[in-house]
Amino acid sequence: MRINFKHEWIETNIGLMLVLTMLAISVGGLVEIAPLFFIDKTVEKVEGVNVRPYTPLELRGRDIYVREGCYTCHSQMIRPFVDEKLRYGHYSLAAESQYDHPFQWGSKRTGPDLARVGGKYSNEWHVQHLIAPRSMVPESVMPNYPWLMQLLDQSDIADRMKALRAVGVPYSLTEAEREANVKNFGETVAAELHIPDAKKNLVDQANLGNYDGNKAGVSEMDALVAYLQVLGTMVDFTKVNEDDLVRSR
Amino acid sequence: MEWLNWFSRPENTKPLALLIFFVTFVGIVLYVYGSKKRSKRLESYKDIPFQDDARDNKDDK
Amino acid sequence: MAIATYSSAEQYNFDIVKKFAIMALVWAVVGMSVGVYIASELAWPFLNFDSPYFSFGRFRPVHTSAVIFGFGGSALFATSYYVVQRTCQTRLALEGMASFTFWGWQAVIVLAALSYLMGYSQGREYAEMEWPIDILVEAVWVSYLLVFVGTIMRRKQPHIYVANWFYLAFILATALLHTFNNLAMPINLFSMKSYSLFSGTQDAMTQWWYGHNAVGFFLTAAFLGMMYYFVPKQAGRPIYSYRLSIVHFWALSFMYMWVGAHHLHWTALPDWTSTLAATFSILLLMPSWGGMINGIMTLSGAWDKLRTDPVMRFLIVALSFYGMSTFEGPMMSLKEVNALSHYTDWPVGHVHSGALGWVAMISFGSLYHMIPKLWDAKLYSTKLVEAHFWLATIGILLYIIAMWISGITQGLMGRATDEFGNLQYSFVESVAAMMPFYMMRAIGGAFFLTGVLLMVYNIYKTIRLAKLEEAALEARLASKMVNVGA
Repeated sequence: MRINFKHEWIETNIGLMLVLTMLAISVGGLVEIAPLFFIDKTVEKVEGVNVRPYTPLELRGRDIYVREGCYTCHSQMIRPFVDEKLRYGHYSLAAESQYDHPFQWGSKRTGPDLARVGGKYSNEWHVQHLIAPRSMVPESVMPNYPWLMQLLDQSDIADRMKALRAVGVPYSLTEAEREANVKNFGETVAAELHIPDAKKNLVDQANLGNYDGNKAGVSEMDALVAYLQVLGTMVDFTKVNEDDLVRSR
Repeated sequence: MEWLNWFSRPENTKPLALLIFFVTFVGIVLYVYGSKKRSKRLESYKDIPFQDDARDNKDDK
Repeated sequence: MAIATYSSAEQYNFDIVKKFAIMALVWAVVGMSVGVYIASELAWPFLNFDSPYFSFGRFRPVHTSAVIFGFGGSALFATSYYVVQRTCQTRLALEGMASFTFWGWQAVIVLAALSYLMGYSQGREYAEMEWPIDILVEAVWVSYLLVFVGTIMRRKQPHIYVANWFYLAFILATALLHTFNNLAMPINLFSMKSYSLFSGTQDAMTQWWYGHNAVGFFLTAAFLGMMYYFVPKQAGRPIYSYRLSIVHFWALSFMYMWVGAHHLHWTALPDWTSTLAATFSILLLMPSWGGMINGIMTLSGAWDKLRTDPVMRFLIVALSFYGMSTFEGPMMSLKEVNALSHYTDWPVGHVHSGALGWVAMISFGSLYHMIPKLWDAKLYSTKLVEAHFWLATIGILLYIIAMWISGITQGLMGRATDEFGNLQYSFVESVAAMMPFYMMRAIGGAFFLTGVLLMVYNIYKTIRLAKLEEAALEARLASKMVNVGA
């Protein structure tokens, strides 16, 4: 068979050009992205790794993290290098951001990585540091965030959890879903993930934790510090076999 | 969708990507530079931006 | 002469091109001013003024959106509408829709900027716009595609010139990327807030597939379209090789879409994906340099133009910066280099050598060529173009040298350990070491911005003189008519 191809066919036919260009630009994305959704080892299912969704208060803290654009200066992705292990801790697992809509891995470290900042500093340190960073770290170039002491808007917490439930985060609306969560995460966590109790859970955690050091009302600071304090703490690496992790990479 | 896993193995994907790209690339290059007559024809289209100059004498400046 | 001009103005819709060209300049000033401001915030943090609206995190997307989508986008709309009309020798199709792309696009930039300051962000770099704005973008973009393809369909010239292929690939790719990267679930229909459909690793991959191809198609392919028209026109000679442009086009369109994952080396993304992306990043050097050579060699035999014509110099130096960044990029996509460079200022410098050196300079050159033709005038001052050129070049050099030094320093300080295997520097010591370079970067940006202000003045004078001349001409004509009548 002999086809006398001419590039002019494409050059003089806008329809053909549209189709072929579309084809050329679609292949790369299809080959690289589509398999990630079907390969079960993209997210580690390893003994000892049992990451839970955020509690209502932590979730609101995360919303504030996104709102203030923290990702423009802080990453949440520790790479498997010696210096990063010394400075930040164990390298990040895919499982640790599996409920992050959107992911906040970041691309620039004007400030340090925050993937495992949880538990490293006291609540008081965080509050003081967020309000006036240079009072704690004189060389810091971080903006002051005094407005975080304002009251947290809790009105739409259930809507937020419902939207996340719709995209696959296991927050529970029905009794059956709640029971599934009990089985996966235990009674205490399952209670936190129950949407009908969201507002109560949020206020309870803020009052109990008293993250901002101010008992009166729930502030945005309460939420943000609760979120920062949970970052990177959900995997207990003493229970994880390193070889299992390597196999998943 | 199991077959997609085949693409997740670098030992498959690397040569495949290279092959697809290379064959297409060589094909295009051979076509474009392969014949003198065709070359001349293809090069003639580069004058298109100058063809509406007659309508717009500002370009002569 | 007047007759020829009238027929040209009737034949082509220059009105929409003029509007976009002016807005490109307006957004350049706005976006780059914000850029200089946030660069200064890093050097002098008091500039955040304890205000949510001026804090770096909210202000930075205002900078990126205003320069990429405001300045870059408007320059692309203007030039693509100009080039498609002139190379198809036909008037723009669907004029109402074209007008919608103008007002819709300007609304997108204004709404995006305001919403970031109010704290609405999707938290995805270069795609921070929340869902209602995303839908407006989608509507504008579909209209853009229809206007562009519609105009090509009514062409008087059987061939579609190569510049239009690149514009077309840019329009298609942007539609594809924008749609899939912004899939999100609003928390309710009356709230701006939404959560992305994907999470974690998949979300990261989708975002950087978008992020890098925003560079590949929005900031490269489209501006190559600009190059394929304006470099030959300004040089007064056809493109160096049309055959090379065929190879260039298909290779670039195909290969760019693979490389996004090189932003995710050493992360929780499976290794095969980022390795594949790195492989394609290296291969991409070939079409990139093919395009650069095609542009620069157009000038072969007329190199003296570089000395005598500052507009030509803008275009050619833009291509040189393009060549430099497309060499630097593949190098940074190597895993070993990336281990050092990632998360530091080096990528910031790399992006700006592309964005200021390539994108902005090719746009300045094209606008300097196009605007006098649109208003049927002569450029007010070539000396000012010359001054603009040097301010821009010095600004870019200050910027990227500062970022190279600070980036590599930060990378090296981060991994330095002493003889006992302990870290030698705390993180904040590296922050302190960055300070002089952050100042140097802000000064470089200020140089660049000053150049743009000169350009705005030059263009303002050009248009004003053109209008005065036209009014005088009309007055003369009118008096002649009266004489004839009497």
